[in-house]
Amino acid sequence: MIEPVAYAVVALATGLFVLAVVYAVRDKLIDDVLLVIAAFVELGLVIMLVAGLFGLGQIEDATERLTFAAYLVSLPVIPIGTVLLAIKEKSRWAMGSLAVGAFAVAVMAARCLQIWMSYA
Amino acid sequence: MPETTRRALGGPGVVLVVVYGVLALAATGRSVLQITTGFDAAPLAYTLSAVAAAVYILATWCLARGGRWVRVGIVACAVELVGVLVVGTLSFLEGDLFPDKTVWSHLGQGYGFVPLVLPVLGLLWFRRVEREAVAAESAARPDDGPADATPSGKDSSSTVSD
Repeated sequence: MIEPVAYAVVALATGLFVLAVVYAVRDKLIDDVLLVIAAFVELGLVIMLVAGLFGLGQIEDATERLTFAAYLVSLPVIPIGTVLLAIKEKSRWAMGSLAVGAFAVAVMAARCLQIWMSYA
Repeated sequence: MPETTRRALGGPGVVLVVVYGVLALAATGRSVLQITTGFDAAPLAYTLSAVAAAVYILATWCLARGGRWVRVGIVACAVELVGVLVVGTLSFLEGDLFPDKTVWSHLGQGYGFVPLVLPVLGLLWFRRVEREAVAAESAARPDDGPADATPSGKDSSSTVSD
């Protein structure tokens, strides 16, 4: 369950990052397309959180298990925070904040996937 | 006397607050993990991780709030810069001091050197916010400024009430 969702989250967050950079270059503000992609990223992260917490026992190493849990809990905060900031800010910097948040989600979700695949 | 607002969450400040927020999350996660799973293994490194996490949370708050928190933010960024330079240099020269890594180890290499660059950007941004606010305060006092420096000529973006 976690593996395909995590792959989808990494792909969507990477796409969101690229689009946000393009929007920043073109000086465009957040629109429905970016909001929908961000919503799917958030949905994926919530699914990962629920499925991951149920499957925590499969990760044998205690440190890796805690790291995985910390990532799962932290990740859903990022898209919500960055989208709210991007809606509030009315300059191209809004897309910069969205791009940074999307990049962080892609990297952290990939790290989650790496830990999960080492044990599952 | 009411203080002129120092608005830090606007323009580049929005990007900074996201980067600081993500780093605060990462540093807090690492610190909690290190302290709960084996504090005795590397007490100095783990204490520094906790300090770094606290400083990142404070800097994020200062960027988001602005106003009187700008000056606190300047101190937080300065502490952060000193921390990453001192701990980073010591981790290269005296590796035995740090059996495990902190956010600041090897000048933030584990986080793509973001911890090294971020306090510099934070200090530059806070300095700009502070300068704009001081300029707006001067313009708001007609007796101190030039004859044409009336309140109507001030920069509205930096004088919105808190």
